[in-house]
Amino acid sequence: MDPIVACQNITRHYRQGIIDVPAVQGVDLNIMKGEFASLAGPSGSGKTTLLNIIGGLDRPSGGTVAIDGEEISQLGANKLADLRLRKIGFVFQAYNLIPVLSAAENVQFVLQLMGISKSERRRRAQDVLSQVGLSGLEDRRPARLSGGQQQRVAVARALASRPAIVLADEPTANLDSHAAEGLISLMKDLNRSSGITFLMATHDPRVIAHTSRHIVITDGRIASDEKRHNSPE
Amino acid sequence: MTGTIRLLLPLSWRNLWRNPRRTVITVLVVGVGLWSILIFAVLLNAWSQSSRDTTVSLMTGEAEIHAKGYLDDPTAAHRLRMPSGRLAQILGSRQTAAWSPRVRVSAIVQSEYKTLPITFVGVSPTRERMISDLPRDIVAGHYLSGPNDQGIVLGQDLVRRLKTAIGRRVVIMAQDATGQLRERAFQVIGIYRASQTAEDEFTFTGIHVAQALVRAGSDVSEIALDARTRNELPRLITALKAAAPDLDIQSWETLAPLAYAVSTFFNSFILLWLWVMFALMAIGIVNSQLMAVIERVHEFGLLQALGMQPRLILCEVAIESVLLIGVGVIVGIAAAIVSVAAFPNGIDLGFLGRGAELVGAGRILHPKLAMGDLVLYSGIVWIAGVVATLWPARRAAKVSPVEAMGRN
Ligand SMILES: Nc1ncnc2c1ncn2[C@@H]1O[C@H](COP(=O)(O)OP(=O)(O)O)[C@@H](O)[C@H]1O
Ligand SMILES: [Mg+2]
Repeated sequence: MDPIVACQNITRHYRQGIIDVPAVQGVDLNIMKGEFASLAGPSGSGKTTLLNIIGGLDRPSGGTVAIDGEEISQLGANKLADLRLRKIGFVFQAYNLIPVLSAAENVQFVLQLMGISKSERRRRAQDVLSQVGLSGLEDRRPARLSGGQQQRVAVARALASRPAIVLADEPTANLDSHAAEGLISLMKDLNRSSGITFLMATHDPRVIAHTSRHIVITDGRIASDEKRHNSPE
Repeated sequence: MTGTIRLLLPLSWRNLWRNPRRTVITVLVVGVGLWSILIFAVLLNAWSQSSRDTTVSLMTGEAEIHAKGYLDDPTAAHRLRMPSGRLAQILGSRQTAAWSPRVRVSAIVQSEYKTLPITFVGVSPTRERMISDLPRDIVAGHYLSGPNDQGIVLGQDLVRRLKTAIGRRVVIMAQDATGQLRERAFQVIGIYRASQTAEDEFTFTGIHVAQALVRAGSDVSEIALDARTRNELPRLITALKAAAPDLDIQSWETLAPLAYAVSTFFNSFILLWLWVMFALMAIGIVNSQLMAVIERVHEFGLLQALGMQPRLILCEVAIESVLLIGVGVIVGIAAAIVSVAAFPNGIDLGFLGRGAELVGAGRILHPKLAMGDLVLYSGIVWIAGVVATLWPARRAAKVSPVEAMGRN
């Protein structure tokens, strides 16, 4: 079986004035379908950079990335946007939602971009919002949702387009521990029940405790990569 | 395409009202700017219209026929026969609304107190009334009763300067067709009111009396005429020229260069004002849209991360501008319509006194919002406004998602 994400010898350097900052230095990484993986490491170790490269938001300085078998390093801006639309679901740390759209509209917007029919959009938005436990809040705008509820809408939106992989960058960083627990167990349930692949950059031990694959990155290199089969409930 | 519009329109509309204060200010800037352009156009058009009407309806008519040489030397030496043949046919046709023959020569008027240079005009009152408004503007006495009337009608200001009055006599001196100086006494029978220049210049008597004085026989100095509609004037002139190739036939534009200059000057003035207002509006619009874009950099990054193509983002911001400026344009049009409707009887320039005459306007301006102007200026403002905001919109589309998202 082909991996959902296949990274080969990824490097990424930032230029800061005359200084060359190596953020990612030769990462080989494959993520298989159905995995529930965490990418941990201290702040500044390159988690966000790597996630952005995998998600086609940023380009590597060297190496190749393939998503679902499609090589993405050569794609132009509009093609990359299309790839993100069809294959990737993003959940960021905060400000994930379009402020002028309600929860349901936020979910539907992406489906509308994909050209999905109105009735199907409605149905799917309803479905995913109830899956993340937000039935009844569909018409609220982000400003009237709690941080945890906003993150759930973001997860729902990421799921609605049925992407190959959901990339989450510190999704629990702005949540209290109750909301964080709720969000992580929600994602885990979704992973189990629907087989959706997750890759989460985090240094939150509450998240790491739940993942079945644990990747650690330090100074832009993979320091360890272990699979765990009986993660605690 | 419709899908894209349906996707972006609600988003654009809501984004527009995220910062209602800024939106309202921009709408007002566009509205007031367009309003001022429209009102300016309306007033200047009314002014130039009035200046043209004053000229045309005072004496000139829309066109005049003269003998060659008359315009350089307006004496009885340069005369033309009363129209006959093809020329009479055209003047009698439906193409011509009215025509009036005149004897018109430079002359001198003398009272007991003063001698002044004037233009001495012999008219046929019935025909003259169809061409000129002047016979209607009698303030004392009465107008000429027929082509043989031996009285004289003078302008109000001339009467004052000559210190004469109704019933008193003045003497007219003019050269006849052979260059002999001729003079004759006339009784003042009527006083008219017009612009001061006109009042000082034109004196009227019956055409046959004038013909006799300057020994012109049955010849005349000029024929003033109006076309059936102003649009048909050029065609009428062409036809007249063909019928009478040996005569001088000219439209009011050439005969009254001042009035013509006023109307063209005003047109360029409107254009200038349009640019000034537009520059001000553009600064306001670009500024506000640029702010709106910069504030939302993070969001544009998010939209890109979600898979929205940069060109769609450009469209979204462009639609915002179309809506924003569209609302402003509608406000401006509404304000202009209301302003013009507030003067159903025209604007009385009486308070300017004789000052208004300096630029050739009549006393009352009739402001009218021409549909063509409305569409033209609103369209220019709208399109140019949207074009001006394409720059902020391009910035929005060019946002790098990583950098935008990094600003959490
Ligand atoms: N836009 C940037 N310009 C310069 N350096 C950057 C930029 N983004 C990240 N870096 C640097 O790259 C390294 C990795 O950053 P990042 O991927 O954000 O780490 P993490 O997400 O693990 O905290 C850090 O040293 C950071 O300072
Ligand atoms: Mg990070």
